[in-house]
Amino acid sequence: MEALRTTTGGQLQRSSPRSHLLLIVLSLVAVFPIYWMILTSFRADGELYSASLLPGQVTLDHYARAWNAIPMGRMLLNTVVMAASQTLLQLMTSVLAAYGFSRWNFRGKSILYALFALTWLVPFQATMIPNYVTLTQLGWRNSLAGLIIPHASSAFAILLLFQSFKSFPLELIDAARIDGATNWGVLWKVIFPNLRASIASLGVLLFISAWNDYFWPLLVTSHLENSTIQIGLQMFLSTDGNLWGPLMAAATTASLPILVVYVLLQRQIIDSFVKSGLR
Amino acid sequence: MERGVNLPIAAGEVTATTRKVVRPARPWWQYIEPYLYLLPALITVLIWVYRPLAQTLELSFYQWNLIPTSPRTWVGLENYIRVFSLPEMQRALVNTLIYMVGILPLSVILPMTIAILTDNVRGRARNLYRALIFTPMIMAPVVISTIWRWILHPTNGVVNNTLDNLFNLEERIRFFTDGNLAILSIIFITGWQIIGFSTLIFSAALANINKEYLEAAAIDGAGRWQAVRYIILPLLSPTILFMSMLTILLASQWTFAHINVLTQGGPLSATTNIYYLLWNYGFQSFAVGWSSAAAMVFFVGFGLIALVTLRLSNRLAFYDN
Repeated sequence: MEALRTTTGGQLQRSSPRSHLLLIVLSLVAVFPIYWMILTSFRADGELYSASLLPGQVTLDHYARAWNAIPMGRMLLNTVVMAASQTLLQLMTSVLAAYGFSRWNFRGKSILYALFALTWLVPFQATMIPNYVTLTQLGWRNSLAGLIIPHASSAFAILLLFQSFKSFPLELIDAARIDGATNWGVLWKVIFPNLRASIASLGVLLFISAWNDYFWPLLVTSHLENSTIQIGLQMFLSTDGNLWGPLMAAATTASLPILVVYVLLQRQIIDSFVKSGLR
Repeated sequence: MERGVNLPIAAGEVTATTRKVVRPARPWWQYIEPYLYLLPALITVLIWVYRPLAQTLELSFYQWNLIPTSPRTWVGLENYIRVFSLPEMQRALVNTLIYMVGILPLSVILPMTIAILTDNVRGRARNLYRALIFTPMIMAPVVISTIWRWILHPTNGVVNNTLDNLFNLEERIRFFTDGNLAILSIIFITGWQIIGFSTLIFSAALANINKEYLEAAAIDGAGRWQAVRYIILPLLSPTILFMSMLTILLASQWTFAHINVLTQGGPLSATTNIYYLLWNYGFQSFAVGWSSAAAMVFFVGFGLIALVTLRLSNRLAFYDN
């Protein structure tokens, strides 16, 4: 069969300089703006408008100015707490729900499943006004509770986990049941430890999307001290739209945790994004 | 069958019909056990998705200004009639279509082409490209808007500066304030974020194609283009439909943050879209009735589009079973 790879149809197998060129261009287009953000954030004022691709004099001034201009530390803390709690809650509720869906046949199962599956068709804008009213009535506006609790479950996470729970070998579950484990025990002592890796990579995905979320914090918060870093950046941009150095420092700070996680775990992150897209 | 309802799924049980019918009576709490596991997620979804959706439907028949103490006036279907005669709404609808059509090449056609052309790249290089190309997807929309506003800035941005150095621009390009250019700039930014993700989706779909088809076609004397036209494209059709549906349904969501941060719908509503308009009606003009009526129409409209696309993908898409 090897010989066939050089024939016409098999050309798809051979790596060509043209393919590399195409991918290099695409990679540069993807990464340049991010590089430019980081570069600008470290540039001294005198070189801010330089088109050079290399940093000249490196300074942390812009970071200091950004931290003084907006309550950056406070907003970062809010964002960390919000993203981490949302991730944990969503993992918890979706592990339970996926277990419920995969372990039993029960009345109304398909209706309940559809109820979760269809949430992605409900746009934020079709629920925002009543949710705003509810948040106000509960006194949850500008609070962490308002940022976190309404996002305690994720339909996306439930559907994704349901797929992996469904393909979990039933023999292992039955063996544990015969040994006297309760259903609750089966979940935490048999299934959870075995699926820890895919649950963890789902967690990373949920953390990234919580960290980057824009709509919900926009609805919940109106004071910078109680808001997330994304809203802070937007406010900063609209009040000091020409302080490009500090703005890029703030943007870099707002992306730093995500970029660090991405550099460490890019293989798993890409795989789980693509897998969820292919589903 | 009553008793068969809540049985755990056990090994060897494939469908409900293979289940053993005779079982000892079980305590009542075993019947509610599955529901208990669903409860936390279910409560959240009911309270924060479906209940407000129903309330939006209700509000769409009232006139109200979002102030708790002011009265709600029943106006029947008037909001629905009013909303579609508003000139801003017509503009927003046209723009929404422009966004969808404009983003499609960047989320479907270009990524698919790139994926097909570069399918031969393997090994470490492939992983490096993947990691780089995917990066925009994990960036926050607000950060992306901020970066591009800086890069495309008329007087200080690197793009205008470089173009000016090379071609001595007569006038700086105002990417976000020029009425004709602004919507294209937002389409470009949105596409820039999605293109890498989409390319990887198409690459993964290509990797799943059984290469024996291509080898068989080669033996039969099919050329490269013929292999793409008759084998690769049909096998990619589920992915093409999926990415197109995603673009059509979510283009308005993807662009919202960029519009809100970069143009606020301007200049002169040149970049507004339906969701941005709903946001404005709700929280700037406090026209809760209009916002709700329009939201319901778009919810139903997009739901129908999704339904039709799913139907289409069952009928048209070619699956390699």
